[in-house]
Amino acid sequence: MPQIEYKGKVFDVDEDGFIDSFDKWCPEWVEYVKESEGIQELTEEHWKVIHVLQDYYRKHGIAPMVRILTKVTGYKLKYIYELFPSGPGKGACKMAGLPKPTGCV
Amino acid sequence: MAASAERQVHDSADTPQVDVKKIRELLDANDGARIRTWLSICARCGLCAESCFFYLAHDKDPKLSPAYKFKNTLGELYKRKGRVDWDFLKRCADIVWGECTTCKRCSLYCPFGIDIATMIAVTRTILYSQGITPEGLARAVVNYRETGNQMGMSSEDFIDTCEWMAEETQDEVKGVTIPIDKKGAKYMYTVNPREPMFYPQDLAQAAQIFTVAGEDWTMPSTGWDCTNLPMFAGDKALAGQVVRNMYEKAVELGVQYILITECGHAFRSALFEGPYLAGYPDGKPPVPIVHSVQLFYEYLRDGRIQIDPAKRLKEPVTYQDPCNVSRNGGLWEEGRKLVQFLAEDFRDMSPNREYNHCCGGGGGFIPMGPEYKPKRMASGRVKAEQIRATGAKVVIAPCHNCFDQLSDLNKEYELGIRVVSLKELICEMMIIPDKFKPDEEEAPEE
Repeated sequence: MPQIEYKGKVFDVDEDGFIDSFDKWCPEWVEYVKESEGIQELTEEHWKVIHVLQDYYRKHGIAPMVRILTKVTGYKLKYIYELFPSGPGKGACKMAGLPKPTGCV
Repeated sequence: MAASAERQVHDSADTPQVDVKKIRELLDANDGARIRTWLSICARCGLCAESCFFYLAHDKDPKLSPAYKFKNTLGELYKRKGRVDWDFLKRCADIVWGECTTCKRCSLYCPFGIDIATMIAVTRTILYSQGITPEGLARAVVNYRETGNQMGMSSEDFIDTCEWMAEETQDEVKGVTIPIDKKGAKYMYTVNPREPMFYPQDLAQAAQIFTVAGEDWTMPSTGWDCTNLPMFAGDKALAGQVVRNMYEKAVELGVQYILITECGHAFRSALFEGPYLAGYPDGKPPVPIVHSVQLFYEYLRDGRIQIDPAKRLKEPVTYQDPCNVSRNGGLWEEGRKLVQFLAEDFRDMSPNREYNHCCGGGGGFIPMGPEYKPKRMASGRVKAEQIRATGAKVVIAPCHNCFDQLSDLNKEYELGIRVVSLKELICEMMIIPDKFKPDEEEAPEE
């Protein structure tokens, strides 16, 4: 399993770059993904998305579908892509420390 | 959570027992004239070797020639009458999932036309009967079994997503709707669950195109998942149930056609493997199957969708023939004619059309999970080199797995390309007739 070192922390990640365990998530991970995704500045809106994803994952053990994310945050789909250019799955879920979803993704 | 790794095999001290009786049953069930002929007629000529991208990508390793792969899996199982040990089955699993995408290219080069992919698929079924299948597929199989779709989405959530996308799309095309369960519609549009779950814009784009084309279409509230990962996992019974869900819904609604999204293996499942899996003895689906490549081509050919000439792609463009849309689905010319409407500088890959190379993401490879990614990237070198040789900056890929694999190859091999779907391009380029223009855009002109 590949490892990533960032600001003194070591993260095990899968081959798609998702953190291997949600329990290892920490703010440094967010910083790391922010840099690798080319996101200029983390705003309150970014954090709102991250927290919604994490709350849902803690409850259900899977990532929410995008519809639920937009409903809870009140953001339009286009705005989520503005926040996370790689999209809700490969950008936001990765940053929130969720595993890669099952299936053709 | 959905995912129990119940069927995943771990290397552990207590090696599971091989159920030889079960293997024998499956061997006997498949011991018809076809497979017996194929196994005995192979002349070891080696012509299949050069056809295989795994072989080409790994310095022509003879163990990656298609003939080696079927002889050392299904061939051995028959020879030993199923009396094999656990290590043998594990080696088979590495071959049939890790070294073959069942793309069927080798069959075009075999002088006898031996269908090696079918034998690989039979081997997958035998392994599945022993509890062996890649973990990613095992997780998806649980979802299909519980909910009828690979991502475990409920019918309510699916319909809610459709309604939401229709609403958000009013800014692009006025009057867009996504009709659900409309009886007697011409097309029942079926999709890959990744679309409603994670890429809802795909639904929005399809709805825009159908609205502008004036299509009579619907989406079904059940049976809307046209993918069939049990088919690749080796769970034949469930694969049959999955495709039956879709067929029966189409019959219930009385639609004229089942329309398949830009997905390759869904076309394979619905068009020609599904009828057998679902137990239709004539091998024909109960409702004719149409792929998006076909319908979108007809829209442009017939002028139902018009492309703004100023928006056509100026940079070099190539087209990825998905194995199950082109070689196995027969739509290679339709795909090319369609691209001519969208691109000024089209450059074909070599080889192409029915002779295309698999992207390396097919046959279940992408959903098999991240642990298979290094193999995908290594064998995908053939596709990466093909793309680089065209000089293309845009690659059109009308299949989700091709799309994801090419996106990964783009990063791995620094190809500098943009990978796009047909829906996305058509929506970027089509002329929106006045009656569909959103109100706020009309206002300044008046």
